[in-house]
Amino acid sequence: MDKIIELKNITKSYDGEAVLDDISLDIYDNEFITLLGPSGCGKTTTLRLIGGFETPDSGDILFGGERINDVPPHKRNVNTVFQRYALFPHLNVFENVAFPLRERKVPRDEITERVNEMLAMVALKGFEHRSVTSLSGGQQQRVAIARALVGKPRVLLLDEPLAALDLKLRKDMQQELKNIQKATGITFIFVTHDQEEALSMSDTIVVMSEGRIQQIGTSQDVYNEPKNAFVADFIGESNIVDGVMLRDKLVSFSGHTFPCVDGGFGANEPVDVVVRPEDVDIVAEDKGMLTGVVTSVTFMGVHYEVIVDIGGFKWMIQTTDFVDVDERIGLYIEPDAIHIMKKSEFSGLYGDYASFSNEFDELSDAESEGEE
Amino acid sequence: MTKKKTRASLVTGLAGGPYELWAVIFILVPLAFVAYYAFTDNAFHFTTANITRFFTATSTVTGSDGAAGEVHTYLVIAWRSIKLAVISTVVCLLLGYPLAYIISRASPRAQKTMMTLIMIPMWMNFLIRTYAWMTILQDTGILNNFLAKLGLGRIHIIGTETAVIIGMVYDYLPYMIMPLYSIMAKMDYRLIEAARDLGCAPAGVLRRVILPLSMPGVVNGVTMVLIPSISTFYISQKLGDGMFFLLGDAIEGQYVANNLHFAAAIAFILMVALLAAMAVMRALTDRYTYGGKGT
Repeated sequence: MDKIIELKNITKSYDGEAVLDDISLDIYDNEFITLLGPSGCGKTTTLRLIGGFETPDSGDILFGGERINDVPPHKRNVNTVFQRYALFPHLNVFENVAFPLRERKVPRDEITERVNEMLAMVALKGFEHRSVTSLSGGQQQRVAIARALVGKPRVLLLDEPLAALDLKLRKDMQQELKNIQKATGITFIFVTHDQEEALSMSDTIVVMSEGRIQQIGTSQDVYNEPKNAFVADFIGESNIVDGVMLRDKLVSFSGHTFPCVDGGFGANEPVDVVVRPEDVDIVAEDKGMLTGVVTSVTFMGVHYEVIVDIGGFKWMIQTTDFVDVDERIGLYIEPDAIHIMKKSEFSGLYGDYASFSNEFDELSDAESEGEE
Repeated sequence: MTKKKTRASLVTGLAGGPYELWAVIFILVPLAFVAYYAFTDNAFHFTTANITRFFTATSTVTGSDGAAGEVHTYLVIAWRSIKLAVISTVVCLLLGYPLAYIISRASPRAQKTMMTLIMIPMWMNFLIRTYAWMTILQDTGILNNFLAKLGLGRIHIIGTETAVIIGMVYDYLPYMIMPLYSIMAKMDYRLIEAARDLGCAPAGVLRRVILPLSMPGVVNGVTMVLIPSISTFYISQKLGDGMFFLLGDAIEGQYVANNLHFAAAIAFILMVALLAAMAVMRALTDRYTYGGKGT
């Protein structure tokens, strides 16, 4: 696959505050790439740089090998699906989609043909003459996608396009976007703060935090082999504890020594150990590698979410077995469920469920939606 | 329903009475008086003579070639009023539109400051503003002294149509800027970015997005400038040297001469003409611009 966009050592700051700090990223033709991170991580700024709405303070943006730092947005072969769609309220559905074609003076017949083709693709046949303001959120979303694709761009930028939709509709649209990307073969650059969305849709995920790229990889890579505590915590749930790598494939944490599958660390090197909540088995107390006291149990539908106090550190375990609060239980962890990470600036910041509450998590999600 | 309710309660709060009563006292009754006077003679008997006089009265004027001719006095005045009002409105629109756009794109602080600066002249009495323009435009006034200092020739402006238009534009420009600004400030900036993204150069963005979206503001601004400038008076007397007698001046003149019934007739005809013009404009707006009922 060919590189279509290259970001080289991009920095960008507003009012002396760095938003992007030395970002380098290669984006390949035909891929579905997602920029994932909490609000303020620089993902939207990165997208706007590619769209041409911002210029980097330093560094280069290459498109097909050519430097495009100073090319204005209307001369870039890139289109954007904006957050909350930005449809033209004075134009009907047909004219919204036809907008870029009219600007290019495409012949009338061809416009009709291409717009109809696009509307059929997004399942909006028959809506041509409707006012865009009379459409539901999901329908507006489809118009925005059709409008961005009708000009056949090489790259489509999507800025949190599903954030305003309700859960069910969001799931449908995720599938649909993925299908459209496969059908058209256009490179999609997708921005979101929703890790589930990123995992289910992307060929490549770029995890960002504080203006820097933390990890680039496939969904499986970033979930199973997170590079540092930030990535492990941001994507899915993680128990992250301090450990010592005794030697290859042997790690010690929480007062017990575990066989594991990772290696390549120095002897007795301090490390961060990640164990996903779904990878911990609950066993009888005397059979456990670790033992602890259950402090809370929450029924989540598919499973129970159990918080266990192990020597003062709170672990989260997802299990289908019922345990009761104050019960003493044993924990069993398979070697391949243990993932070892080098210490980083994020060590010790994440991965303890002492102050965890679902409610708090949702609150901070809602907050981040309106910001960017 | 809700809209009517809030409006009624607002007015109730302000005027201490229901909206309908307020409207009758302050709008309908005065208008009824104008109509009543327009269709009665000095003895308050019904007559259409006042109306007929507006359309038929003639006077003799001497042209620049010395030839005398008969003209319909008030139709000439009406035509002149409309012409100057339309020119002033167009100039206000051409000046006000870019200015309103620039203000609407400034930082919130700068927006406040600039809008205040635009309103400040309105705090002064318009007679004083008109006198100020006289001082500026006179043959030996500030403008001409300045031109002379620069070594450029003096120009004669006072007493010309240009002077009257300058005065009218100055007086009514804020009424153009305010509705334009309020609609542009609400315009979603992402629509402009979307247009750029979809291939529009800046000129295309203006033509295809900003202009159509600001049409309701244009219609309001034009209405707010055109109507008072058609019936304006005094500016033409002072800056036009009395050479450009307008409908407003005619009404004032008849009123001062205690000719209330004919003054009312002129006002009545003007009102009917403006209402008709507004109805046409409203219909066109509804049909062809965004924000109208037709869309």
